[in-house]
Amino acid sequence: MYGKGLRALSISTVAVMSVALGLVFFWVPLEAEQGFLQKIFYVHVPLAIVSLCGFVAGGIFAIQHLRTREQKWDFRSYVAIHTSLIFGVATLITGSIWAKGSWGHWWVWDEPTLVSFLIVFLLYATYQPLRFAIEDPERQARYASVFAVTAGAFVPLNFVAVRASTAYVHPRVLGATSNLPWQMSLTFLVSLLGMALLFTTLCKYELTAKHTRAQLRALMRLAERRAGASTSAPPQRGRSAAPSLHATAMTANPSEGRAR
Amino acid sequence: MSALLAVLPALPLHEAGKYVAGAYVVLFALVLIYVGIMAVRSRRLERDLAELLAREQRASRAEGDAPAEGSADSAGAQSQTARRESTLV
Repeated sequence: MYGKGLRALSISTVAVMSVALGLVFFWVPLEAEQGFLQKIFYVHVPLAIVSLCGFVAGGIFAIQHLRTREQKWDFRSYVAIHTSLIFGVATLITGSIWAKGSWGHWWVWDEPTLVSFLIVFLLYATYQPLRFAIEDPERQARYASVFAVTAGAFVPLNFVAVRASTAYVHPRVLGATSNLPWQMSLTFLVSLLGMALLFTTLCKYELTAKHTRAQLRALMRLAERRAGASTSAPPQRGRSAAPSLHATAMTANPSEGRAR
Repeated sequence: MSALLAVLPALPLHEAGKYVAGAYVVLFALVLIYVGIMAVRSRRLERDLAELLAREQRASRAEGDAPAEGSADSAGAQSQTARRESTLV
């Protein structure tokens, strides 16, 4: 049952996001150099961090899928990467807006952090077409998992490579070089928590919706079979990038759903 | 509310204001689009469920016609209960 705890999670997300917005606009002091423009930092950086963590989580779920061959891990990997892509789009747009306000350009090609994020985003943008190109669901899940593991390993490597580069044009937020005042650090951490909760909530909504749809389809097939409409023909599945969820896989261990 | 607004600092919405507003609007627009997509999906689920319920009611009515009168009545009653429940949701 993917919908378990969804209401509490949604309420916590709204509460933390509201607190974060209150802190950003009414409490945290203005930054000396950028002034009001620096408020974008509290939305752009958490979006980027959560997006990258989501890509890595997709890779971890994919490892689980390759180890156990259980469909649910492929399903989770797909949803994590799918949601991370949406967060990635938001990161790129908010980053562009910040760059325009701060540097006077929508995009700067000689800034390693920007370009590396774009590379990661474009890499993951091929994930959906890759899935769509493979019709056999088993093969699709396996290939997608291999892709998610490889790309997921690339994300932290890329992050370390950018950090090790000499150009420090992009401000550092986390680590020993961070010199944020405590009010800014606290606001940033609340924003990061809010964004992480938003990511988790959206993932859970997606998982619940897709799972419910799969269950309904399975029920419809059962009803059709009982009515004698299709006694021997296997269920037809159109080509899709989304993982296929079989009713047998979902109902094989109903107690597991309750424990989750 | 007005007392609260009086003690809160005024937002310096000058040159940078449009960029900050733009960045936050992008985030909320994306969330809003997502919620819209979820609403469409929920509507589709609702429609499919209604279709399934109607199909099951037809099937149970057809099954009820074949056996004895008593069981047909009970099938009809079940169908009516299901219809009532579906309208309550």
